[in-house]
Amino acid sequence: MLGMSRAGLAERWTLFVGALLSVTLGVALVQSSLLLLISAATLDGASADEAAVPMLGIVLGGAVFLAGFVISSTFAFTVDQRRRDLALLRLVGGSRRQVRRLLLGEALLLGLGGAALGVPAGLGVMAVQTWLMRRFAFVPAGFTGEWRMWILGVSVGTGVVLAVAGVLVAARRAAGVRPLEALRESGPAARVMTAGRWVAGLFFFGGALALVIVAPHGGPAGGQAMAMNVAMPAAVAVVAFGPLLVPLLARLMPFGGGVLGSLARAAVRDARRRSASVAAPLIVLVALVIGNTGAGASFTASGIDEVARSTHADFVVEGRVPAGSVPGVSTVSVETSLPAQVTVGSGEDQETTDVTALVIDPSAYAAVHGTPVDLRGRAVARGPGGEVPSSGPVRVRVAGADLGELPVVAAVPEMLSGGASLLLPTGLVPATGPTTSFVTLAPGADASSVGSRLTSIGPVSTIGDWLRADAELRNSTNDKVLLVVLGLGGLYALIGVVNSIVIGAATRRREFAEARVTGLTRGQVVRAALLEAYAVTGAALLLGLLAASAAFVAVLSTTSAVTGVATLDLPWPLFAAVAALILTVTGLTSLITSWSATRHPPVTLLAARE
Amino acid sequence: MTTMTTTSAAVTLHGVSRVFGRGPAAVRAVDDVTLDFPRGGWTAVMGPSGSGKSTLLHCAAGLERVDTGRVLLGDTDLTAAGDADLTALRRTRIGFVFQSFNLIGALTAEQNVALPLRLAGKRPSRSVVRATLDAVGLADRARHKPRELSGGQQQRVAIARAMVTRPEVLFADEPTGALDSTAARTVLDLMRAMADAGQSIVMVTHDPGAAARADAVVFLRDGRVVDRLIGADAREVADRLAAWER
Ligand SMILES: Nc1ncnc2c1ncn2[C@@H]1O[C@H](COP(=O)(O)OP(=O)(O)OP(=O)(O)O)[C@@H](O)[C@H]1O
Ligand SMILES: [Mg+2]
Repeated sequence: MLGMSRAGLAERWTLFVGALLSVTLGVALVQSSLLLLISAATLDGASADEAAVPMLGIVLGGAVFLAGFVISSTFAFTVDQRRRDLALLRLVGGSRRQVRRLLLGEALLLGLGGAALGVPAGLGVMAVQTWLMRRFAFVPAGFTGEWRMWILGVSVGTGVVLAVAGVLVAARRAAGVRPLEALRESGPAARVMTAGRWVAGLFFFGGALALVIVAPHGGPAGGQAMAMNVAMPAAVAVVAFGPLLVPLLARLMPFGGGVLGSLARAAVRDARRRSASVAAPLIVLVALVIGNTGAGASFTASGIDEVARSTHADFVVEGRVPAGSVPGVSTVSVETSLPAQVTVGSGEDQETTDVTALVIDPSAYAAVHGTPVDLRGRAVARGPGGEVPSSGPVRVRVAGADLGELPVVAAVPEMLSGGASLLLPTGLVPATGPTTSFVTLAPGADASSVGSRLTSIGPVSTIGDWLRADAELRNSTNDKVLLVVLGLGGLYALIGVVNSIVIGAATRRREFAEARVTGLTRGQVVRAALLEAYAVTGAALLLGLLAASAAFVAVLSTTSAVTGVATLDLPWPLFAAVAALILTVTGLTSLITSWSATRHPPVTLLAARE
Repeated sequence: MTTMTTTSAAVTLHGVSRVFGRGPAAVRAVDDVTLDFPRGGWTAVMGPSGSGKSTLLHCAAGLERVDTGRVLLGDTDLTAAGDADLTALRRTRIGFVFQSFNLIGALTAEQNVALPLRLAGKRPSRSVVRATLDAVGLADRARHKPRELSGGQQQRVAIARAMVTRPEVLFADEPTGALDSTAARTVLDLMRAMADAGQSIVMVTHDPGAAARADAVVFLRDGRVVDRLIGADAREVADRLAAWER
């Protein structure tokens, strides 16, 4: 049987190169993300940005998801494309078990081969990821991902497990192929929606729906995390229903009139499973990139809005503005931020968190931020950053000094934009640290003269300038995080897209040859294939957008629940760029593959009957 | 109704029907056919295009489910057999040859011929495989892949593959349909020699010349057996076919 596997591998090499590529890159991505995560997590102390470890966790999760998805859909596709070969095997006496064993054997070989190539490729991927992380200062300049010997075992395991698991369902399905299918030129109108697809589709649809429903109740941090995770299950659900949805939408695409248009339309309608398989990685790519960038940008915009709405000041000064020191000033909220450690509970349940504390004057803070804070004596309040219980005693250490047990007596509303977790009244600790003063003008005071007087204390910005600078900082952080999280994953998914188009065209030589002996020129065949590719791509773009919209619904309800204003701020130029990139890549791939598949004169293909 | 006992027939069809589709679009491809294919004989099946020849052959070989009736291979009821039983039958008691040779392109002629034995878990000896290829006159092409062989040679490899298990019955659907007359004659000579050596053969064909090489010819029309000729020459077969195609 293994000999058969080897001969099969050699013959249908385009299919297997595609499958091998998907395993190789999947293993590389997972290996690199895992090594980086471990290197960052074991990095001592505060030298790494605190966002680095959770971010790498997300990168790793995304890598595993993408690898599993791309590998299993590629394998299922290659198996689908070989139905006739497998039916022939059944015809000459192969049993179902032998078909299954053959496919699992191939998957094993491909998993091992993919791992062997993926380990060195992973080192290249790690260099790129490390460079990105350093470039954006998520890690210190000297940071490198460290090689660990055991990763060899993990990578081989990843390759083999993902490949074998990826082919399991397809192999079961293929084992049911009827021997008679070997005698038909094209397989029968096989059932397009299998029970497995229904189950998987409904399961992931349910998961996405649950996240959408729960997200607005998850608070600012939980809600954001859930909303950012809606796109994945939504995309898988849409992919599962692909054989129904893709041809349906693809047929609505403008094909133009004429014989080529109707030919392409017929091809889309006829090859429903092929269309769905080509569309699958595209749908995931579009849903992930558009869903996550759209959600990220919306949350950032919502946070910026929230800060603007809740800050009632005219000037912001980097420094301490003593109350009553500057004429024309009505209120000053002086806020000093300090690193703090908060410990809750005792004994076994004791838990300590590193947070930011803000030393404030409660009444001034209340006036500037529009939320009442009533603190007396040693009482403290939970800040807009959350993370601290909203009542009860907590132990607090600030800048190395143990403040003992302090009662939390109040909590200001948690904010999407985050902020300090603990508000301390002045007098509890010496307020030495970065200090910001929010200044409000007295009625009738001259803004420019007050402004120039404040400059003697520290850098002054008008509230408008300060909000703009804050917004820019938030946006650029969001962009960097998304680039690190989505960049290589997106590239991998894009390669998955190219892969599926190549595999889709690999077995169509005969079909193309038949079209040519019917009287089409080579150019016409290529153009019809291109039209078909565009129809499928268009449908995939729409379906990816559909899955992304599920994330947008969660964004709207979460921002509304947290800030009171439902916000959706979509980066349309980025979406347009993604669509243009995808259309270019699929168009080029389709052109090249169909051009090379029509390389030989049609008669030579039609004469070779296998 | 036949009076033959089951043991004297290689394959027996008893009231077999196969309907494709439902409602007004339903096609009765095979319509209540009762028929014996004699053991050690070569039977040709003829009829107009779409008359149900291929479907009949597939039903007789256990490749196609039947809607009513029974199909017996010797004493074995194919209609009651499960997938595992049918797989075992294909390995040991049934051989197939089709118009579009259906060889596995990745394997050499020799490997293609050895495949059914290997699928049956046997370790085929090179000499058995070579002898089978030799019997179809292709001993010198053992290491060639299908695409390096002519159509007639590919079909002879397919016959060798079907014969290597020494099946009780060889089913052939238009085995000469894709061949020129010289290649077709080589293949038919081969089949004649096999039949003379006692091989049971059921062959669907369009070609009266091919049918005339068989021992008996059965005519189908609209899924029903309408006529039968024994020991007729090509002209008689052609005339009868023309009459039924009118
Ligand atoms: N899988 C199928 N699904 C639906 N209809 C079928 C199927 N197979 C055969 N038919 C129909 O059954 C009828 C008989 O088909 P069959 O292939 O047996 O004809 P045939 O005699 O072999 O024709 P030909 O000489 O052209 O090969 C035809 O009308 C055909 O359309
Ligand atoms: Mg036929």
